[in-house]
Amino acid sequence: MRRTPALDPLPMTNDHADADTDESRFLELRLPSKLGYEKIAMDAASALARRLGISNDRIERLRTALAEAIINAIEHGNGLDAETRVLVVLSARPDELVVRVADQGQRPLELAPIARADRRDQVGGWGIWLIQKLVDEVEFSAAPGGGTQVRMVVHLEHVGGTHAG
Amino acid sequence: MLDDELRVTVRDSGPVKVIDLEGDVTTFALDKVRNAFAEAARDDARSILLYFRQNDYINSRGIAILIEQVHQASKAGRTVAICGLSDHFQNIFRMVGLTQYLNIYQTEAEALAALTQH
Repeated sequence: MRRTPALDPLPMTNDHADADTDESRFLELRLPSKLGYEKIAMDAASALARRLGISNDRIERLRTALAEAIINAIEHGNGLDAETRVLVVLSARPDELVVRVADQGQRPLELAPIARADRRDQVGGWGIWLIQKLVDEVEFSAAPGGGTQVRMVVHLEHVGGTHAG
Repeated sequence: MLDDELRVTVRDSGPVKVIDLEGDVTTFALDKVRNAFAEAARDDARSILLYFRQNDYINSRGIAILIEQVHQASKAGRTVAICGLSDHFQNIFRMVGLTQYLNIYQTEAEALAALTQH
């Protein structure tokens, strides 16, 4: 039976935990599980990262990592079912930008291969391997609803500085 | 609008077959890139230059397609080079090991000079 995204919350727990108390620093996107839509999230993340003063080269790295996380969610998590959604949450914190990607868990990734993503022949290995190389922190976890959550962190380079935001 | 934003053209520059890639290199690039390499093979080109133009988005699926095609061309004795890539994607290509099959140049002129000396 197909899921109805509007009625079926995405399996992301504690997804607001990274949001600061300032609601304007919190952005949530729900993307159809269709390849190409990751570009919308990449552009949103770029815009936010730029406002946080993150350098262009680190923004490029974040864009690539985010794209890979969303593609994995679309293809492996949601099985390319366009009626499901991928949830992307961007949270600007005082010292870091946190990006979470969650799928609806039709085909949850096995966490063991993720841990061995340096072996790039593993399922999803290329994308996961790239994510691990491109952001400051990354954490994969199983969502309670059966899907996969990816939490990526980019540290701000001049905490306490004068970056816009 | 979101799924296929790549234009691939093939042209000759002396003995070098130049494949211009303009736009996103993703899953949707498969047929276009394969066809371009097939054209180079059909014409028995000894050297191929991949010229990346305005490529804001290259993902792991696109890279896998490039690795497949570059590896095959290399096995067939063709020399492959790349130019026009941003610093970010040059770094990514090095990270994933594409540079074991090809050299990266900044400009078309530099790449052509190297390939024609080959």
